[in-house]
Parts: sequence; C-alpha cells; structure tokens
Amino acid sequence: MIVVENKSTEDILKMIAPYKKVLIAGCYGCVTVCLAGGEKEVGLLASQIRMAREKEGNPIEVLEQTVERQCDKEYLDKFQDNVREVEAVVSLACGIGIQYLAQVCEPVPVYPGVNTQFLGANLDVGVWEEYCMACGECVLDKTGGICPVARCSKHLFNGPCGGSQDGKCEVDKSVECAWHLIYERLKALGQLDKMAEYIPVKNWHRNEGPRKLVKEDLTLE
Amino acid sequence: MLQMQARSAVIYEELDVLPEVLVIGCGTEGAAVALAVSENQPVTVIDHDTPHDSLSLLKGKSNITVKTGVKVVGLEGFPGQFIVRFLENGKHAKKSFGAIIVALEAQPRFDTKKYNGLELGERILSLSQFSKKDNDYSGQKVTFILGQADQDSLISYKNALSMAIALQEKEADVSILYDDMKVSADQLEQDYELARARGVNFLKYKGDLQFIKTDVAATVRYWEPFLPQSEQIRLISDYLVLAEDYIPHPDTADLADALDVRTGPDGFFQEDNVHFLPIMSNREGIYFIGNCHGPIYSAELEKEVETVKAEVGRFATGKISVAALQPQVTAEQCAVCLTCYRCCPHHAIEIIHDESLNNMYHSAARMNPLACRRCGICAAECPGKAIQLPYYTDKEILQQLSKPPKIVAYACENSGTLAAELANKMEPELNAIIQIVPVPCSGKIDALYLLKALEQGADGVLIIACQKENCKFIRGNVRADQRKELVRKRLEEIGMEGDRIEIVHVAANQGHQFNESIRSMVARINQLGTYPGKVIR
Repeated sequence: MIVVENKSTEDILKMIAPYKKVLIAGCYGCVTVCLAGGEKEVGLLASQIRMAREKEGNPIEVLEQTVERQCDKEYLDKFQDNVREVEAVVSLACGIGIQYLAQVCEPVPVYPGVNTQFLGANLDVGVWEEYCMACGECVLDKTGGICPVARCSKHLFNGPCGGSQDGKCEVDKSVECAWHLIYERLKALGQLDKMAEYIPVKNWHRNEGPRKLVKEDLTLE
Repeated sequence: MLQMQARSAVIYEELDVLPEVLVIGCGTEGAAVALAVSENQPVTVIDHDTPHDSLSLLKGKSNITVKTGVKVVGLEGFPGQFIVRFLENGKHAKKSFGAIIVALEAQPRFDTKKYNGLELGERILSLSQFSKKDNDYSGQKVTFILGQADQDSLISYKNALSMAIALQEKEADVSILYDDMKVSADQLEQDYELARARGVNFLKYKGDLQFIKTDVAATVRYWEPFLPQSEQIRLISDYLVLAEDYIPHPDTADLADALDVRTGPDGFFQEDNVHFLPIMSNREGIYFIGNCHGPIYSAELEKEVETVKAEVGRFATGKISVAALQPQVTAEQCAVCLTCYRCCPHHAIEIIHDESLNNMYHSAARMNPLACRRCGICAAECPGKAIQLPYYTDKEILQQLSKPPKIVAYACENSGTLAAELANKMEPELNAIIQIVPVPCSGKIDALYLLKALEQGADGVLIIACQKENCKFIRGNVRADQRKELVRKRLEEIGMEGDRIEIVHVAANQGHQFNESIRSMVARINQLGTYPGKVIR
C-alpha cells in the first residue's frame, strides 16, 4: 500500500487562498486504508477550510467527492461535473492520484492535500512501516523475505554495517537492523548459507528516465 | 412514541446456530456448569490436564462428552458458529460450537511474605493443606488466621468457618483470629453464628502478626484492637492454619490469547468494569464462570451457572431470532481497510467476499448480528464513512444540529444522558443552553461530529463519556479522548481555540458533576467569545 500523511491545513489554506470555490477530492484506495484521504478525511478538511475562511471574513464554498481510485482515469471522469464548478481542486490521493487528476482537470489547478511517504505495511491501527522501495530488482529470495533496500537504513546488500547493536540500527535505536532480522529469518528457515552468497552491486543509474511498463501482449490494438 | 415506532420497524433475522456448548476446564465448577447446561443441549468438556476428581460426576451422561489432554489454541467465527482450534495430544484439530464457557479454576497459593516470612511445616498449614488432612485433632488447639492474605475472597472465610465447626464437634479447641469477619454472602452469617454457638473462639486483631515456631507448638503474637494495653497478646496453638491468596489458573493467559478475551485485575479473566455482569466477556457467546474471574463464593457460582445456562440456552433449538440492528455497510464506500475489524472491541466484524458487492474488491466488512453490541465504534472509525449504525446514522445525528445552542454535548447513553437528565432536574436554567445529542457510546462520536457542531453554530462542544476504564464497550471512551485531542489540534491548525472541545467523564448518577462541567464550559466559552468559524448562522 502507498502510505501518505496529511499536509497541514495551514499549508492547504495558503494554496487555495485566492479561490472562492474548491473541490476536495478523496480516493477510496490506499489513502482511505491509511486513514488520510477517504470520505471522512475529505469531510474533516472541508469543515476546517470552511470555518477558517469564515473566521477571515472570506467565505469559501467547499465541495466534497470521493472516487474509487484516482490512479485510473475512468474513475477520474466522475469528478468532471464538480471540477467544472470550482476554481481549484485539493486532492487527498497519493502523489500518483494528484498528478493524474491534475492532468485531467486542466485548466483547473489541482493541489496536494497529502505528503506521499512510502510503500508500506499497516502494522496496526495508525501504524505503518516502509517495506518496499520499488527498486525494480527484487532480492527477497536471497534475504529471507526481508528487504535490505527498504529496511536497512544504509541500503546495504551484503550483511550489516558495524553499527548494528542488539538487533537495533545505529541510525535510530527504534529501528530494527534489517540484516539482524535477515540473519534470524535465514536461521529459522535453515538457509544461513545464503548469508555468504554475494549480492552484486545494484545499478541505481536510470539512463532511461522515469520507468514505464508496457506489456505488449496485453495492450489493446 | 417515537421509540415505539422505531421498534416496530425492526427486522428480525432467523439464524442457524449450533446448540453444542464447549466448557473449558473440568474441575468442580466446569462439571457443575456442564451438568446444568446438558439438560438443554449437548456439551463438550475439555481440560488440558489429566483427569480431575469431578470427572466421575460427568461419566456416562448422555449429553456430555469429556476430553482431557486438550488445549484450545485458536478461535474463529461468531456466536452460534464458533470454530475452536485445539491441540489434542499434540495434534491439531478443530470443532464448531455455538457457545463457549470458561471454567478454569483459580488456585490457592500460600504467600510467605503475607505472614512475615513464616514457612509452612508440620504445625503450620495452609487452609487448603489443612482441608485435605484427616487427622484427629481432639484435645488439640487449632487456630485459623484470616485477613492476612486474600483480602477480598469469601472462600477462605467459608472454608475456615466450616472446618472450625467440624473440628469443634470433634472436640478440638478452635480459634479464629481475624481482622474483619467477612460474612457478606448467603449462609456465611449463619455459619458464623453457629461457630460461635458451638464454642469457637473469635479473636480480633489489628496490624501485623508475629510468629514463633517450635517443634511442639506455634505462637502468634497480635494486638487486640479494643483493649488498651502495652503488650501484644500471645496465642499458643498446636496448629496454625493460614488463609491463602488465589491466583489464576496457569493456563489463563494462553487461553485469553487464544480466545481473544480480556483479563483484568491480578490476571483473572474479565476486566474490572461496572457495566459487565459477572459472567460476561468482551465477546458475545463466550462466558466466564466461577473462579476464573476471581475467587468467588459457592453460592454465587450457583447463580452464575443459572445465568450461563439461560444465556447458552438461547442456542438450544439450533435457531435463533435476532434483531438486525447491527451497523450496515455500504460496499461502494468500503475499502476493506480493516480499521473497523481491528477497532471492534467485540470481535463482531468479518470481511466477506461476494460478487454482488459493488466495489473493486467485491468485498466488504460485515457486522455479525449475534456478536455485535451496537456501540457504533466501527462507524466512527471508518475512514470511508461506509458504516452506519441504525437509528444513529450520521444523518440522524447531524440533523439534530440544525440550530445548535451555545453548547452541544454528545452524551453516551450509558452515563452521559442519564447524568444530564439528573442535572437538568437540579438546575434547569443552566441546562437550557446545552443540546444533548445521545450516542450509544462516546466511541461513536466521530471527529466530524465535533467539527460539524462548531461549523453549524455552537460555541463549544462537550463529549460526555463514562468514567475511565468503565466503558461498557471497553475502549469507546479512550477513543473519544483521542478524538478530542485530534480535533483540538485541527482547530488550532486553523487558528481556533482547541479548548472549545472538552471531554467529561461521569457516571450515570453524577448529575452534580455534570452541572459543574457545564458551568466551567460556559465560563470558558464566555471568556473565548462567540466561535468565529460558524458557517450557518
């Protein structure tokens, strides 16, 4: 899941200061699951904005709408009618949704209502942790299902650094050392020999620019 | 009138349930409840340990199956259709039951610290050791000591009195040394009177006791509370019998984990909560009986057995009719995020998959009508606003705010609305400026309700919740506290005063405290002035 955090309402108020009518656009995907951009958050933000502007003596009309996913254009079509009504949109979707919505809303500007944080797991109500960095070359087979790219503070590929102590990371004592976890997991799996396996250096250089995935055999026409 | 109309509209669902009941623990209490329940429906009694004496009571009963060497390791499903996972002599197994009764008996434990480091021995025995000995004590001096351990348990008093009466009949010289004689249960007062009549010495002490142990006798030195004197009294006995503490059965923590039910003070089953009947757990269909929820007296056990028998008896016919009053989920708005599932204090929620559910997952949360206690916590937590509690929908609640007065008070119906009623009788003028909006639990008060009250014209908002640690729905008032903080922050973010939102914890009978809270809120609002963010005037 993509994990996001709400921007401060103060920042959002600055973005929409010039407008008299805006739409808050929610998404029923990841941002609802991570309690930041579903219908409820849309309602809370809209209420805050109305009250803040009322206090300034500069009332604003705020529309509220939430769709299935802001990363699919068919769902974005549902915003059409409301977008025509407003001067600006605040999207509570992840960075992907915000960009995609901005693309279809032109010339109405779309502003971000959240800061997209990471790809993570929901550990409990209100707790998320980064598990994947979408590096594109998965090594989880060699590391007992624990990602050293996302979960080692230094993204190390071949064992821990000297700062691993009692299973904790020297960067932050509340962070578990990923390589300690990997060692324990491999031991439990009876695969400790994999610790000795050398993982070659990763090519972070992106000469092809932003990644794009096209599955030729699936594309239409 | 309104309520009557609402009630007539309730739809009843008929559900299939399994009549069979699982009893965990087959000591005397497990056996007693199994026998009673088996009059109506089949019972399986399991025990982790090797057979108890009470097993013979259950032998050959047609409606009772007994299994030993069985440990519960997991539970799925809902009342009427629980699936229990076992470890049966090391092997995994599972079986379905309609209801579960926990009867793991507490165990006496002698704590030497409570007796100034005195160790048990030939002449110094714990109450349970003494009860198992069948010696001849005629002509011997036996002293029972009560009140040093196990302050709250009547079991020790009951046992000591019965043993004292029996010993006195066999011509022993019996004394009971006590600090407070606890007789607040059926038959105890009579036992006490009888013991006195038979010649048992009742000696009251206060404060610490001192012990001197020799090979032939044991001496206890104590202060008599009523006689003015400078010296301690010495009481020399052949035998000292000491009351013990009771501790939970060693399997308690594991079983609580497996069944996902809560434990409370001293690690016994059931939290300390005034809203809970003694047999209730945080889950429907799972009941506690006897000493598993603290050392209880035998007369109370009989009442508990009757209550549990009636509770599980609802499943006896295999069918149950239940009002469909549980929260309803709009699949289109459900992101199957699991927030409600995780927040439900009663384990009443499942995620179901059905092609007819109109969202991209074809899945949605569903509240089980037999497991749900209608607190509405799920509805308040839902980030998609997909969950609505019948008669307390967002629309129905927010409609009440069309023209809010100065202060809106969202009040829990288990405490707040009752305290408000009382408060209103005491000071009607004070209460005229507040609007009470009843909710089934303070955990039902959505953050949005708090903002909306201000947006729609109130100057301040109160959350009237139950006393801390006494929420009928376990964590509703804790969530309400958290939401107050959250909404305060959101108000401060937009330059408003956060303390326009306040939470008050009251009990149903605290009308006076309620009025004090209103008074202090009114004073605060008068100081802050009119809320500047009102949108609807």
